[in-house]
Amino acid sequence: MPHNETVEGLGLDEYKYHFVTRDKPVFKSRKGLSEEVVRQISAHKEEPEWMLDFRLRALKIFESKPMPTWGGDLSTLDLDQIYFYIRPQDRMQRSWDEVPDEIKDTFERLGIPEAERSVLAGVGAQYESEMVYHSLREEWENQGVVFESIEDGLKMYPDLFREHFATVIPPADNKFAALNSAVWSGGSFVYIPKGAKIDIPLQAYFRVNAERMGQFERTIIIADEGSEAHYIEGCTAPQYSTESFHSGVIEIIVKRNARFRYTTIQNWSNNMYNLVTQRAMVHESATMEWLDGNLGSKLTMKYPSCFLVGEGAHGEVLSIAYATDGQHQDTGGKVVHVAPHTTSRITSKSISKGTGRSSYRGLCKVYEGAVGSRSNVECDALLLDETSRTDTYPYIEIDENEATIGHEATVSKVGEEQLFYLMSRGLAEEEAMAMVVRGFIEPIAKKLPLEFAIELNRLIELEMEGSVG
Amino acid sequence: MADGVTTAREAGETEAGVAGSRLAAFLETLDEPATLLERRRRAWERYTELPMPTRKSEEWRYTDLSRLDPESHVPFAPESGEEENRDAGDLPEQAARLLEGMEARSAVAVRVDGRTLHRRLDPALAERGVVFAPIRRVARERPELLAERLYTSDVSPMEEKLWSLHVAMLTGGDVLYVPDGVRVPEPVHVLRWAGEGDRLLSTHTLLVTGREAEVTWVEEYLSPDLESPLLSLSGLELFAGDGATVHYLSLQRYGRGVKHFSIQHLLAGRDTRLSGLNVNLGGDLARDDVTSHLEGPGSESEMLALWFGDGTQHFDHHTLQHHAAPHAYSDLLYKGALTDSARSVFRGLIRVDRGAQLTDAYQTNRNLLLSKHCHATTLPNLEIEADDVRCSHGATVGQVDEGMLFYLMSRGLTRLTAERLLVFGFFDEVLERVPVEGVRERLRDAIGSKIGL
Amino acid sequence: MGEGEFHTVARLDEIPATGLKGVAVEEQKIVLVRQGDQVFALEDRCSHEEFALSDGEIVAGQIECALHGARFDPATGAPKALPAVKPVKTFECRVEGDVVQVRID
Repeated sequence: MPHNETVEGLGLDEYKYHFVTRDKPVFKSRKGLSEEVVRQISAHKEEPEWMLDFRLRALKIFESKPMPTWGGDLSTLDLDQIYFYIRPQDRMQRSWDEVPDEIKDTFERLGIPEAERSVLAGVGAQYESEMVYHSLREEWENQGVVFESIEDGLKMYPDLFREHFATVIPPADNKFAALNSAVWSGGSFVYIPKGAKIDIPLQAYFRVNAERMGQFERTIIIADEGSEAHYIEGCTAPQYSTESFHSGVIEIIVKRNARFRYTTIQNWSNNMYNLVTQRAMVHESATMEWLDGNLGSKLTMKYPSCFLVGEGAHGEVLSIAYATDGQHQDTGGKVVHVAPHTTSRITSKSISKGTGRSSYRGLCKVYEGAVGSRSNVECDALLLDETSRTDTYPYIEIDENEATIGHEATVSKVGEEQLFYLMSRGLAEEEAMAMVVRGFIEPIAKKLPLEFAIELNRLIELEMEGSVG
Repeated sequence: MADGVTTAREAGETEAGVAGSRLAAFLETLDEPATLLERRRRAWERYTELPMPTRKSEEWRYTDLSRLDPESHVPFAPESGEEENRDAGDLPEQAARLLEGMEARSAVAVRVDGRTLHRRLDPALAERGVVFAPIRRVARERPELLAERLYTSDVSPMEEKLWSLHVAMLTGGDVLYVPDGVRVPEPVHVLRWAGEGDRLLSTHTLLVTGREAEVTWVEEYLSPDLESPLLSLSGLELFAGDGATVHYLSLQRYGRGVKHFSIQHLLAGRDTRLSGLNVNLGGDLARDDVTSHLEGPGSESEMLALWFGDGTQHFDHHTLQHHAAPHAYSDLLYKGALTDSARSVFRGLIRVDRGAQLTDAYQTNRNLLLSKHCHATTLPNLEIEADDVRCSHGATVGQVDEGMLFYLMSRGLTRLTAERLLVFGFFDEVLERVPVEGVRERLRDAIGSKIGL
Repeated sequence: MGEGEFHTVARLDEIPATGLKGVAVEEQKIVLVRQGDQVFALEDRCSHEEFALSDGEIVAGQIECALHGARFDPATGAPKALPAVKPVKTFECRVEGDVVQVRID
């Protein structure tokens, strides 16, 4: 960890993911959204009829729902200017050698194949609208683990797919879930068999390269009884002067006694609207953990949810948001207690800097009958400048008297005493600031695999640059 | 009064078919100072323009107004400004009984169905310039006290519909003016009794204090259980001068059959100390919207509330601690207990404006659920645009401590009594912050009789 | 079930062959779901946010609430898709000739 390096020493002068790849997509839809675009997507994927019907219905639902008026400012999001589908290559590959050079090069620069060799159980890589690469280590494949692109999931496991698809997040759930349901493309289909325990993470990497691109991945994960796994998604894009758009839907089913952790390290460029629906259905004695790191994007609206439907289920959301100039992170988590003796915890840490705004938005709902349930929510917000803003909007709805629910939030600025102390120990003000921020997010960073924790720290360091003086 | 009522009813019934509004017809029957009438008309216009809030709006998400039909209520005849002043012995029995134990008051008023039957103010205070009178009389005799104050509050769009109805249909109101440097030694206490259903009662309070003034205001809302529903609208505008200390307490203990909506705006000047307490025990539905505007540096605001809901009672509390000035302090503590199928909502916001540095703001909501079918919703919100602040909030929902319960039961108490005692203890954290002992005891009695102790 | 009386609530041909219709018996709002000759009756209120199910649609044999897409089994009222997690109340329902009758308790 570069604790004793100076920020300048890191040589990270700018967002390092800005590079643009010159590629030759095989298909690009017309700008904007229409029935024609939806039919083109479905045709390219050679889908069954029911999926086309599903998409067309979802398009109608999308059109009928009003834009949300809460959360972030969506008035500058112009969907008519967005490309809803860009097909980068004709088929997905299972070996990096077969991925077109310019695309492979992109992922090389992002360090994906290297990470795959050293620390990951499987990798999926999405470029624009399609997964260009998907691969799982043989030892897990032999145990019956399924880790496929969502399109292959639909083709190879039609019954399992249809049994679960859109049961956790139906199209009408919200406007952007409806949009995703109409134009989804890419994402993963994951099945962890009974009792399988994958001790190193699976990772999906999402890259948007084109200008005015809309990316709509859809992921279904089924963790069967007693299984354990960790899935990580990472996201980047180059900075354009125009807006891009990412709207994923992630559905997770965690069956009895299973444990599943889903980690997002979102570092989209600052022209990205990132509107994502992530939800898990958690069965008896199972555990679902969301680790949600939101560092990039122009506006993120994202509230990972746990529906605790089985007795003794546990849900956890760890959320970290970093909003700097021009950014709004509207993030948080939702826990819904349905069954008895379910427990949950939401921990949110946010940092606002410059004109950045971070908002915590959350829900804790306890249904009648969820006796003996416990939930605890803690939100801490750190403000670095007098121009930064933070908000906290928790919803707590309790219909069961035998439940214990607590929520606490604090807002503070970086303590001057703390800074002076660190500076008196020889740290530059910037370094001191970075250190305070690192300390603030540590409870979350330490839950990450080491490589990601370092990455997170590096990002914080980078963001701190020029934050004082 | 009887004449007034007849007029309103007849007007309502004949007009209802034509213009569709007996409330509009009510406005036509009024004879009062032009300035007041003009305000009613403007408010009525706003009221008719605005849609009734629905559960689709965040502010009304948990309280359904779709069955609220103001037109089905006949407004009480408005006060004339010429008050009777009966002795306590000549008051209706209910009202007379309420006056018991209220000797230690600097001023008292008793209103029955909006009409003042009894009013007294310590003559020594009157001599020092304290004014305690109905709005209508003040409008005639001291209009400067109302100018730029009455109905000037910064009402939020979601309150505006009912606020407009309140202003347009005003039955009567009280003005208390305390000049610079005057300390009112004992509380000013107003009793508001409503005895009839199918009616609309709209009451307003305007509290104005000068610099360094000091006063405690108590208002109580009462009625028997009513077969046919009463719609009660109440408004408070409190302007506290620099360095003033003002305590405001509202005790709502209506009978069943009442829907009560209260909109309160408290404005604190420089170095002002404000505290407000709302106690909700009665009615079928009670909704309080309380805003504390901290406009002067160094001001302090304490916002307190208690409620106990049983049956199918529904209590909804909205609060705003608005820090517009630096170096101000606000602390909110709202505590409620529910049993049977009662429901409560707390939605509170601390807003710290850009530049309101060195703000200290706190917000706590605690809920006790005593039965299987009650529901509590709590939404403690923060919007912070200054960085040098200390802000926190907390909310809890839980049950009475089983250990304490067993302890009390082991000492021979029934479970029910033990539970009630614990609820009483739960409320005490708020009650002990009430500054006047006589008032504190009155609140304890009211709560005790509600929870059955 | 078994208590209360059957009330005639609609003619069978008023409900689309695979569709739904909202009716009211006394104070009770009911949604009728027809699948061919069979009709089911459920409380016309989504268990998620109390929205009228009769404003929704029948999708693949299930009632879908228009507000957030929750789905229910028309025969049992059981929830089939989030965000609903609780069942919707069902009523005994029969077709007598060309009319639909529902038993209200």
